[in-house]
Amino acid sequence: MNRITRREFLKLSTGAFVVTLLPKPIFGSELKVSNGPLIGVARGEKSKLVEAAVNAIGGIEKFINKGDRVCIKPNISFAANVDCGATTSPEVVKQVVQLCLDAGASNVIILDHTIQDTTLCIEKSRIEEAIVDDKKVRLLPLTKERQFAEVEVPQGKELNSIKVAKAIQTADKLINLPTAKSHSATGVSLGMKNLMGLIWNRGYLHRVNLHRAIAELATVIKTDLTIVDATRALTSGGPGGPGKTVTLSTVIAGSDIVAVDSYTVGTTQWYNKSFLGTNVKYLVAASDMALGEINTDRMTIKKVEV
Amino acid sequence: MTAKRDKYHLLLRWVIQVFFLSLFIYFFIQTRYGIAVISQDFFFRFDPLILIVTSIAYRTIISAALLSVILLIGTLIFGRFFCGFICPLGTTIDVFDSIIRRKKHIRLSFKNGKYLILLFLIISALIGSSFLYLFDPLVIFERTLTLLFYPIATYFIGVFTLGTNAVYIEAMLTLTVFAAIISLGILTPRFWCRNLCPLGGILAVLSKFSLFKFSILKGCTSCGVCADVCPTGAIDIENERIDAAECIDCLRCHYACPQNVVSYRINLTCTPYSITRRQFISAFGAGLVAVPLARSLIHQKLEGRLIRPPGSIPEPDFLNLCIHCGKCMKICPTNGLQPCILEAGIYGLWTPRLVARIGGCEKNCNMCGQVCPTSAIRNLPLEEKTYVRMGTAVIDRSRCIAWEQDKVCLICDEACPYNAISSLSETIRGNTLLRPFVDERICTGCGLCEARCPIEGASAIQIFSINEERKKTGTYITEEKVKLRACEDKPEDIPTGFIVE
Repeated sequence: MNRITRREFLKLSTGAFVVTLLPKPIFGSELKVSNGPLIGVARGEKSKLVEAAVNAIGGIEKFINKGDRVCIKPNISFAANVDCGATTSPEVVKQVVQLCLDAGASNVIILDHTIQDTTLCIEKSRIEEAIVDDKKVRLLPLTKERQFAEVEVPQGKELNSIKVAKAIQTADKLINLPTAKSHSATGVSLGMKNLMGLIWNRGYLHRVNLHRAIAELATVIKTDLTIVDATRALTSGGPGGPGKTVTLSTVIAGSDIVAVDSYTVGTTQWYNKSFLGTNVKYLVAASDMALGEINTDRMTIKKVEV
Repeated sequence: MTAKRDKYHLLLRWVIQVFFLSLFIYFFIQTRYGIAVISQDFFFRFDPLILIVTSIAYRTIISAALLSVILLIGTLIFGRFFCGFICPLGTTIDVFDSIIRRKKHIRLSFKNGKYLILLFLIISALIGSSFLYLFDPLVIFERTLTLLFYPIATYFIGVFTLGTNAVYIEAMLTLTVFAAIISLGILTPRFWCRNLCPLGGILAVLSKFSLFKFSILKGCTSCGVCADVCPTGAIDIENERIDAAECIDCLRCHYACPQNVVSYRINLTCTPYSITRRQFISAFGAGLVAVPLARSLIHQKLEGRLIRPPGSIPEPDFLNLCIHCGKCMKICPTNGLQPCILEAGIYGLWTPRLVARIGGCEKNCNMCGQVCPTSAIRNLPLEEKTYVRMGTAVIDRSRCIAWEQDKVCLICDEACPYNAISSLSETIRGNTLLRPFVDERICTGCGLCEARCPIEGASAIQIFSINEERKKTGTYITEEKVKLRACEDKPEDIPTGFIVE
């Protein structure tokens, strides 16, 4: 019979006691949370928002390597005044461009397939203000069919294949830079909806099941980082405006496009009503396709005030 | 006189011609969105044909063309130097004339033609319609550049850049007119200029009395060298006389003369006109009947799809004031302004209309009014332009996929910069969905919705000239319109994209 000695008993009980003193993070709840996507939310002074939000999720170096060719997709699809909120504000785009350059990006391409006349959209969105370095940064309006190349959509039910901008197919990184706005068809237009500005025949998506098609589009256009310009939000009358514009002074960043969109939905009212990401059909479709996290309870949200 | 010097002087004329041609093309290129367009209608300002014919037809002096008096005075002093040195169409004809090989000098000439066409234009203008666009060389040249050469140029530029291709629904007729004018050179050099051009006609009437003329001095041996080189057949070698009305001051005779007796000097003698009574009556009669005939061919009411550019003055006046030069179509950034073929009747040929399926009228653009040389499209301030009602959008529910196929489309609502389209909940066959409705009180008929409707072929939302506003003077901004537009509580239902609990 193996008796336990007093000494052994003391050793074991001391050891067990020490284990209980170990810091919590090694076990339990914190570990579980870090499985969820990380969302950085910065509020406050406009000129520091992007950096603060990106730092909250680990800093730009986590996403951009030295020598990367980076594509930035703002929403400049409408020839509307910047204050309206239908387009990404040039100050925010400029900060993102600057961050990329600071991280050592070899060149940055700002691109969009505008809905209204390209010249007018460029003029009204004041996007050229974001070209901080003539050599490394350039604006690429997507105006010609030859700038797009057919891509298969393996998970597609609504889309078999879609013509996607070649520029993002050859780039190393894609930063999605939408503005927060309402949308008469999809409810909200945020990160995932913004990807429609990277395809040639955007009208086609409206002819099929639009919500599902948007989710399918996100399966072929992979974004490395999504930054939502919610400095102000066009909460009705979107996507072209004019409508009700509210000031939020917020920038939301994250690598999970569904999570970023879903979180943003809850930051303000749309059409004078409160919604969650789970109320948005295209986000639900994306969640069903396991493209990202839709439930804000399962995200790690880091809020910073600047 | 050495041969070398001759060549030098003739070369100088070519240089001047090429300079003015280049200037014309430069102004044409500068007629584009966003450029300060101060001088782009420079040539039209000096066109006395516009001053005379359009002023008569419109019953008001066209102040923009008043500078052409300078050209008239200049012609009274120096003769038809405009035709020989400045006219871009003349230069183009000269270029082709030097390429075309004529088998023989065909003695086909109808010098009175230009006076008769001028008479025809003036009579028809007096009756009430301007046919200027068919015959004015500057207008023809500008229009040919726009409708024919600009699409070709943008095609090749577009191969290397991201510039969009200009497209016009009418090019063949323009090509035919241009090719005809050029190829008439097969018959005689400068056929158009000497026989048909009514601007040349005006200048010819004056240059008969011009102070300076090319004259044949004593010592002429009637060798005929000068007559052979003369491109306009102005030299009557038997009578040793040069008809100043025909002479375009090209200098060829001066340098060709072996005796050196053709000289440019003050000369007050005039050669008589030779218009017959029959010719006069024909042109007069043609001018009389052309107007009622053309008016009988107007179709615009049939379709209701004749949408004029924003700020166009009322239609009969518009047709008289518009010189059909095509500048508005050239500058329209969406390419939506297209030439009419017969939509506005026979004298509406080549006038601008908005073909919204090709491109709508952008809210933040008033370029067409800015470049219109005669203000047939008024130069409205940007703000006021957005209040002009060009027509009204009408939804064809049987073709609309939101109405007929329960699709979450609403691109028209998205495209509308005035919030004139509301997406409202409507249940059809048990499906509740947002479907588009047009608020005709707010709709301006800009056609951005028609341009973007995603269905194939004709749009399910189309602009008709319902509620069209055309004002000769006065503002388009009314209190009611401002109030309607400022209204924040536009009916808007929660989008279908939201799951409402």
